[in-house]
Amino acid sequence: MNTTAWERVGVVFAKEATDNLRDRRSLGSAVLGALLGPVLILILLLVLGKALFNQGEKPLELPVQGAENAPNLIHFLEQNNVHIRPAPADPQAAVRNGDVEAVLIIPADYGDAFTSGRPAMVQALYDSSRTSAQPTYSRLSSLLEAYSRQVGALRLQARGISPAVTVGLAVVKVDVATPQSQVLIFLNMLPYLLMFTIFSGGAGVIIDATAGERERNSLEPLLINPVARREFVAGKLLASLPFAFAAVLLSLSAFGIIFNAIPMEEIIGFQMSIDVRGLGVIFLICLPMVLLASAIQMIIATFARSFKEAQTYVGFLPLVPALPGIGLAFLPVKPALWTMLIPTFGQQILINQVMRGEMVSALNVGVSVAVTLVLAVVLTGVAVRLYEREQILFGRA
Amino acid sequence: MIEVKNLHKAFGSVVAVEDVSFTAANGAITGLLGPNGAGKTTTLRMLYTLLQPDRGSAVVDGYDTASAQLEVQRRVGALPDARGLYPRLTARENIRYYGRLHGLKGRELEDNISRLINWLDLVEVADRRTEGFSTGERLKVAIARALVHGPQNVLFDEPTSGLDVMSTRAMRDFIRRLREEGKCVLFSSHIMQEVAALCDQIVIIHRGRVVADGSPEALRQRTGLDSLEEAFVKVIGSEEGLER
Repeated sequence: MNTTAWERVGVVFAKEATDNLRDRRSLGSAVLGALLGPVLILILLLVLGKALFNQGEKPLELPVQGAENAPNLIHFLEQNNVHIRPAPADPQAAVRNGDVEAVLIIPADYGDAFTSGRPAMVQALYDSSRTSAQPTYSRLSSLLEAYSRQVGALRLQARGISPAVTVGLAVVKVDVATPQSQVLIFLNMLPYLLMFTIFSGGAGVIIDATAGERERNSLEPLLINPVARREFVAGKLLASLPFAFAAVLLSLSAFGIIFNAIPMEEIIGFQMSIDVRGLGVIFLICLPMVLLASAIQMIIATFARSFKEAQTYVGFLPLVPALPGIGLAFLPVKPALWTMLIPTFGQQILINQVMRGEMVSALNVGVSVAVTLVLAVVLTGVAVRLYEREQILFGRA
Repeated sequence: MIEVKNLHKAFGSVVAVEDVSFTAANGAITGLLGPNGAGKTTTLRMLYTLLQPDRGSAVVDGYDTASAQLEVQRRVGALPDARGLYPRLTARENIRYYGRLHGLKGRELEDNISRLINWLDLVEVADRRTEGFSTGERLKVAIARALVHGPQNVLFDEPTSGLDVMSTRAMRDFIRRLREEGKCVLFSSHIMQEVAALCDQIVIIHRGRVVADGSPEALRQRTGLDSLEEAFVKVIGSEEGLER
């Protein structure tokens, strides 16, 4: 009848794993949590990607007031893929209400000013507080500037002066953002979506094995068996890991398929890819997080009086690592060493780096992994202490 | 054999067990009798090590329940008041889990499981998931898993609660059978008739104290009454334990 501690942990592990593999609820929450991120990214790419990247090719619909006053300018605009539309009755109000994104107003004295060689005034109405109207306005204003330069150059040439003398600077804009780094705006969400998967993958098992055990009235008879409480906790905790690992693996595979197999080029104009090696590194970075997530969930579920209560609290948990993640999507943080000291935050930065194809520092990975593991072990110890208390029988351990 | 000396347990300001002492012998059935809330369940929980006594001691086969918990757990088969099963596991898997937690494996474990399944008349449902089992079937599975390691001491908390007449009779036969095997059987009940029908020794607990301890015969003699029921009423001083 003599067994080692690890054999007893193995018995608990095997039972919980078998039991939960037969549980649709545990499996469902793991699969759902794993696929939520990839599906979300896919939808964003298809909807937003199209809207953002196809802007330049669409004809610009431009309401113009007084088009008859400047036939040459109108002709120039039409040549540059602008569809001239009649202006609304009250252009100011229409722009302010967002009915139209911009309106061009050509006054009646345009022709006089133009022929006499004075700057001819035109008004471009737009609303700078509307971000969505920004591309339309900047397209319009660069077209107007181009026309103005063209007219100015012709006038100088007519007077025998080279137009080049009026140009002090020849500014050449070179955009160094690779197509990949533009798409990374979306991908900044990926690290957080992975955290979500980590925190939901094993949650079903943990809740079932702790709060569920009490709800079924099976905890008291279980604890009478000659097994140390730490062995029970270890077995139950370990049983959640394969579920969480599988969820992370499923999630990463789905991301991999989306980025590599789907003809992204046709949708957003260029291909992007994360290779298998990158996905593998991301998976390894995620591993210690899974342990930490399970330990936290174990404590919460042990505290909860009922299955429902445990589900509610554990359900809120993925929002905690979201906080730095949301910040990360807007404020790029350099992978400084201190950030590695914050579990979930460090990992999200590292995952981000891997996705950008940057070199990941071994020291950063080491610190991040070590801190996360130490915290996981400490919290597991707390869970064991909760299990060792008499109150475990009655709830609110 | 179980020896209990001056057990005391309080939860905050509520004293559940004031002072309980008795001895339960091998090859005998000992009944803990008392009204609801008398302290029976708390006493049993201290015996199967889930609660630590504040004072006093409980010793099972020479091992103290407070200091040698694992040794006691190996020698005890307990059916607590909470007797939930794992609904997604079959009856046999439920029993096997407890056997493996006791370190049993292979042939020996499977033989023990089969023997208990036959004994408790569970053959037909043994390989079905316990989801949807009747109260009687659940209880039998809970008993089988509690006894899968062949413990010398058997602790049952209200083993017949919720059972119909036929199941209750089967349960009593089963408890007698354990006595014939030489086990130390201790069970709690609030039903006088049950205890009278089964026990070699009756320990009556009231408000956390032992108010009477002895064979049914000795109890009748002590109170000078013919019926055990009246004797019971006399020792606890009220009729509150007579519900059935």
